[in-house]
Amino acid sequence: MLLKDQIALVTGGSRGIGRAIVKAFAQEGAKVGFVFRGNQEAADSLVKEVSEAGGTALAIQGDVADPGTAQKAIDAITQAWGGRLDILVNNAGVIRDALFVRMSEEDWRTVLSTNLDGAFRFCKAAADLMVFKQRSGRIINISSIAADHVNKGQTNYAASKGALNALTRCLALEVAGRGVTVNAIAPGFIETDMSEAVRNKAGDLIKKMIPVRRLGKPEDIAHLTVFLASPAASYITGQVLTVDGGLSLGVPDVG
Amino acid sequence: MLTQEEIYKKVSNTLVTALNVDEDEIQPGARLQNDLGAESIDFLDIVFRLEREFNIKIPRGELFPESIFQGDPDMVQDGKVTAKGLAELRSRMPYADLSKFESNPQVTAIGDLFTVELITKYVEGKLSK
Repeated sequence: MLLKDQIALVTGGSRGIGRAIVKAFAQEGAKVGFVFRGNQEAADSLVKEVSEAGGTALAIQGDVADPGTAQKAIDAITQAWGGRLDILVNNAGVIRDALFVRMSEEDWRTVLSTNLDGAFRFCKAAADLMVFKQRSGRIINISSIAADHVNKGQTNYAASKGALNALTRCLALEVAGRGVTVNAIAPGFIETDMSEAVRNKAGDLIKKMIPVRRLGKPEDIAHLTVFLASPAASYITGQVLTVDGGLSLGVPDVG
Repeated sequence: MLTQEEIYKKVSNTLVTALNVDEDEIQPGARLQNDLGAESIDFLDIVFRLEREFNIKIPRGELFPESIFQGDPDMVQDGKVTAKGLAELRSRMPYADLSKFESNPQVTAIGDLFTVELITKYVEGKLSK
């Protein structure tokens, strides 16, 4: 068990990549708290799944865009499990795709608030514990290749993820001396609710563009997240690691 | 009321914990940055711990003044702190012994002022009020 007895917090944990991370962490022996915004059914089923497999999970309702959610989540975890927080995964993310000339203030704000400000607040709430009390910790931010390999209609999403990458590097530098590593994972095209609309529209065309010839699964991201969270990864910090089946390398010849 | 020795001992213990160094590395003249390896985040931690240890309030920038000179050319010229700059330094850090620094006031050597002894003097001053 790579994460035995560690305490983890995952935002956006009830579905998609977050759900896979919660399950993987629990499987590796961690106690996992996760934040979910609205899907109570998904949250409950995840807690059930984890406990049936012999693990421990705790669902915490809240929107990461709300200022109070971060402290509420950390308090819930420290109260339930003895005061530590070893691993934080900032995974909660949303899209509000629109061509820039049509993009509303709200489209912009919502994506930045959830994807960037949310991560900021959770990092802040965790930093106190990790940096000053524990002198150890792991922060993993789930970013996207879309920050650098951009798609039309995603100025807000790309901006939020690009900023998240920069935050990752800078925070890593500040806390490295205190046993806390901060890294980001940039997934490519993963089979989740977030990519469903595009997948339905584009179908096989996407697969043709991906060198390894398949879409990513949430588990593909979870595996790397487990490793980065583990003691074995203590010399890796300030990095953005891409997991995309080669998508960002370039377009394979379709002929 | 704590004696000077007791204050020094408590300051020493605080630094051992905050900087993760051995007790015997703590000497009165030991410099936080160059001798004890302190970096920006450690300075913050030291302030928090001193506040708790001695039940005092340390306003931001009072113990470790931030950006004293703000690039003001009246205060620093050719890498040396001017007379005006030295006056500013004296007023910001009244608990510090600046005599050695004043003999060769290289702005890059300001970090050397922050020693174990400086912190002890600062705390003594705060407690006597």
